[in-house]
Amino acid sequence: MAHQWGMVIDLDRCTGCEACVVACHAENNISTVGEDQAARGRAKHWIRVERYFEGEFPDLKTKFMPVLCQQCDAAPCEPVCPTFASYHTIEGLNGQVYNRCIGTRYCANACPYNVRFFNWYNPEWEKPLNLQLNPDVSIREVGIMEKCTFCVQRIKAGEIQAAAEKRALKDGEVQPACVQSCPTKAMVFGDLSDPDSEVSRLARGNRGTKLLGELGTLPKVTYLQKDSWHGSENA
Amino acid sequence: MQRRDFIRITAASGAVAALEGCGNPDHQLIRFVPEEDLLPGIATWKPSICTLCPAGCGTLVRVMQGEAEVVRNGQLGILKMGLAKKIEGNPAHPINQGKLCPRGHAALQVTYHPDRIKTPLERTGQRGSGQFKEITWDAAIQQLVAQLSPRPTAANGWFGFITPPLRGQRKTIVDAFCDALAGNHIEFAFLAPEVISHANSESFGHGGLPTVDLSQSNYVISFGADFLGTWNSPVAQSIGYGNMRKGRAGQRGKFVHFESRVSQTAASADEWIPSRPGMDGALALGLAHVILRDKLRPATSAGQAGLLIDGWSAGLPDFAPEKVEQQSGVSRATIVRIAHEAADNSPSVALIGDAPAAHTNGLFNARAANALNALLGSVGKPGGINFSPAVGLRGTERLRSKAELSRMEGPGSIPIYDAVSPGTKPPQVLLLHDANLVFSTPAGQQPREMIEKAGFIASFSSFIDDTSAFADLILPDHSPLESWLDDAPESGSMHTVVSLAPPSMAPLHNTRSMPDVLLDLAQRLGGNVAKALPWKTYDEALQAAFTNLYNEKGKQSAKDADEFWSKAQTQGGWWSANEKPAPAGKAIPYPKLNPNPEFDGNADSFPFYFQPFASQMFYDGSLAHLPWMQEAPDPLSSVMWGTWVEINNRTAEKLGVKMGDTVEVASAHGKLQAPALVTPAIAPDVIAMPLGQGHENFTRYATGRGANPISILAPTTVEGTGSLAWAATRVRISRVGEGKIVMFGASMEETPQDTKHR
Repeated sequence: MAHQWGMVIDLDRCTGCEACVVACHAENNISTVGEDQAARGRAKHWIRVERYFEGEFPDLKTKFMPVLCQQCDAAPCEPVCPTFASYHTIEGLNGQVYNRCIGTRYCANACPYNVRFFNWYNPEWEKPLNLQLNPDVSIREVGIMEKCTFCVQRIKAGEIQAAAEKRALKDGEVQPACVQSCPTKAMVFGDLSDPDSEVSRLARGNRGTKLLGELGTLPKVTYLQKDSWHGSENA
Repeated sequence: MQRRDFIRITAASGAVAALEGCGNPDHQLIRFVPEEDLLPGIATWKPSICTLCPAGCGTLVRVMQGEAEVVRNGQLGILKMGLAKKIEGNPAHPINQGKLCPRGHAALQVTYHPDRIKTPLERTGQRGSGQFKEITWDAAIQQLVAQLSPRPTAANGWFGFITPPLRGQRKTIVDAFCDALAGNHIEFAFLAPEVISHANSESFGHGGLPTVDLSQSNYVISFGADFLGTWNSPVAQSIGYGNMRKGRAGQRGKFVHFESRVSQTAASADEWIPSRPGMDGALALGLAHVILRDKLRPATSAGQAGLLIDGWSAGLPDFAPEKVEQQSGVSRATIVRIAHEAADNSPSVALIGDAPAAHTNGLFNARAANALNALLGSVGKPGGINFSPAVGLRGTERLRSKAELSRMEGPGSIPIYDAVSPGTKPPQVLLLHDANLVFSTPAGQQPREMIEKAGFIASFSSFIDDTSAFADLILPDHSPLESWLDDAPESGSMHTVVSLAPPSMAPLHNTRSMPDVLLDLAQRLGGNVAKALPWKTYDEALQAAFTNLYNEKGKQSAKDADEFWSKAQTQGGWWSANEKPAPAGKAIPYPKLNPNPEFDGNADSFPFYFQPFASQMFYDGSLAHLPWMQEAPDPLSSVMWGTWVEINNRTAEKLGVKMGDTVEVASAHGKLQAPALVTPAIAPDVIAMPLGQGHENFTRYATGRGANPISILAPTTVEGTGSLAWAATRVRISRVGEGKIVMFGASMEETPQDTKHR
């Protein structure tokens, strides 16, 4: 059976440090757009950290929530694409085929999570910043939609390596850049089709929720809700 | 002519002939013969050390073959070379265990920055004008030799070298160089934890920052320390925090944070308890008072740390919850409850850092938190604070020597400031490396004037910044990824750690490693200087140090010194097999201190406390030149490419200030303008601003962007030390007009229904 890649994000561990955000930029050749374009809402962050305040001074709670493509099983972005650039891969990813994309932006309109980013201009890396580019990830040009891929280049490399060694992928062997860098281990990635994988085990936990799950998008990212202190009797 | 040079020249001329007439100018460049054997498309991972903050995380650099445009022997061409593509945490390194913070990832852009200084430069225009011409390394080094040859003395003006705090063999070389020239090595950093270090010497006989064993804590009290963002060893602490929350089945530790605003760290607390700036010591002693009063712990358990505090043995009568409530704004019921929770849920631990240590009573605050820690029984215990074991390697022992501690006593003790005080001669020759003194010193202390008085200034910095712009000569260092590196982290692990890294890639530009240049200078200067620095190169010095380390500690981990040295290069350093905290040291004598903070500016004219804070992306401002850091949204505000002034929403309403309006913040020492960030996450009488922006000169990405909160700070010092009290300024604020603030998450206002706090 094909892998079904999924992720668990434990909001009780997440500290909003954004190591994931910058790791993703570095891994996936995401170009910076500069102040003026950023002011027009055109900055590209495949993963972002949302911050929520509840209450008023002095009784205020803060919560962070990393949001990336939820790799939905019933993804609203896929059926609206006229060129099949957005499609469902056999491993359950919401794929984005850059050379099919004609930039209608229907997918971004349909996505309830705001995780698709359009290239309004050709990306620029002022020399020699171009040397930082990851040769495993293609550059997206003007007019193309881009989004989180769960670091599909790492998944593929891991699968090829395992196949060459005639063995199955081990749980935790493949990690997207965000998961790899997360200092608090708030993010866990793995195969949801394997009930014994860490990601499956955690996703079944009683703190598990889906972001905007009521929309029926069947996200493959599970958020573990923030916990609270139960006092010393719990110790 | 060497064989390689011959091949290079013939290959080059052949390539030019073959490619002549191609349309793309890139293709007209000659191709140099590669110096390394690399397979295209195959990545190798090389250990390195993150140098962007003092935590000293170990990294792995992904190196792949690529084609770089480089200048070699004055000729521009294309070279196939190993290029760093990504930086990850080194899983074997005891500090960060494979993890990294956002800044660590962006270190890649230091190497590839388009505005890196590519070759030695000599000033042509006025000092500070930023006008330079390119010169050769020989000419640059000869100039410096000429400047240092009539040895600077106290009579004709001294010699100084300003760097950030250094460690390891790099420090040994710089110190030895300065000593041999009878000069001063001045270690300067805005966020240097001198006050905490000093307090720890007094309380525990151990200078330096503590290693916090959060993973086994059940109750964490933080007084302002941004320990999940920028303070001490943030990655090590974040790893511990994750375990404290969810790493132990059925056991979730509690985290309480006292501060006048919600920092990135405070945001993760179970309880953020707003407290008046500077009252952290009173709060810590208020908690201690309750613990003593209710006999939750015996007073004697605090030892030396308790004896430092007036009234300790009498049960701290001055810090009854009623009194502390008045001073700190935290209710007496909360103080009593937190004290009981902390005492009942051991191991519990208190952390103090950042602003609480940067008030005039910062040393008092730190002593008080130390006493609370000792009372809670958390010192030297699992789940508490420990001090990392030192190594006997020359130059890698404790960061702060006794001499440095004594230098910190009394205001104005930083020698560079003495240089501008009347009657003291300015330095004859001043060397700079990465210490941005002009940016990081309040304008009231006249850093510019101070720098300009130096007879001759040479900088090793890789960038023209607010300070190196004043240099007469620039001898650009390699980037960290192009250099040999070594480090002995001060905290973050209970293993003895000595990090080591060979260069991950060949230098892109015509740069030289700073320690190598010093060793070259030493040879040319001859005499005692050459004698003090007997090594030809930095890596030779490192190997000598590692031979010593092998003889002292490493006999079990390798069969001989050579194997030890090569293993350390592959692994990223050497660390002890066992975790063993440092034994207690000898306490230093302590003076009496005022428990109350004093603020510059009277409350009528300047009604707000001004609280600058370290930026998650820019740290102290030294990372504002990296485009990834500029475009990464701040975790709390989601601001990109700019700065902001945090103001409480009710205060803003009273003043007629709306989100994004330009406001003027004025202290008695200067004023600045920046956009307002209206937020419920700050006390109504506090104005806060991130460090980082407001550089007058720091590459195309940071120059002229935003405002620098340091510029308007009062030049007040922390009592008992010479450190700047950077949280002790009062300001007023007024609306100027409409403004602009660039935010990534402008629409993130409501919590999605199904992910509410339980």
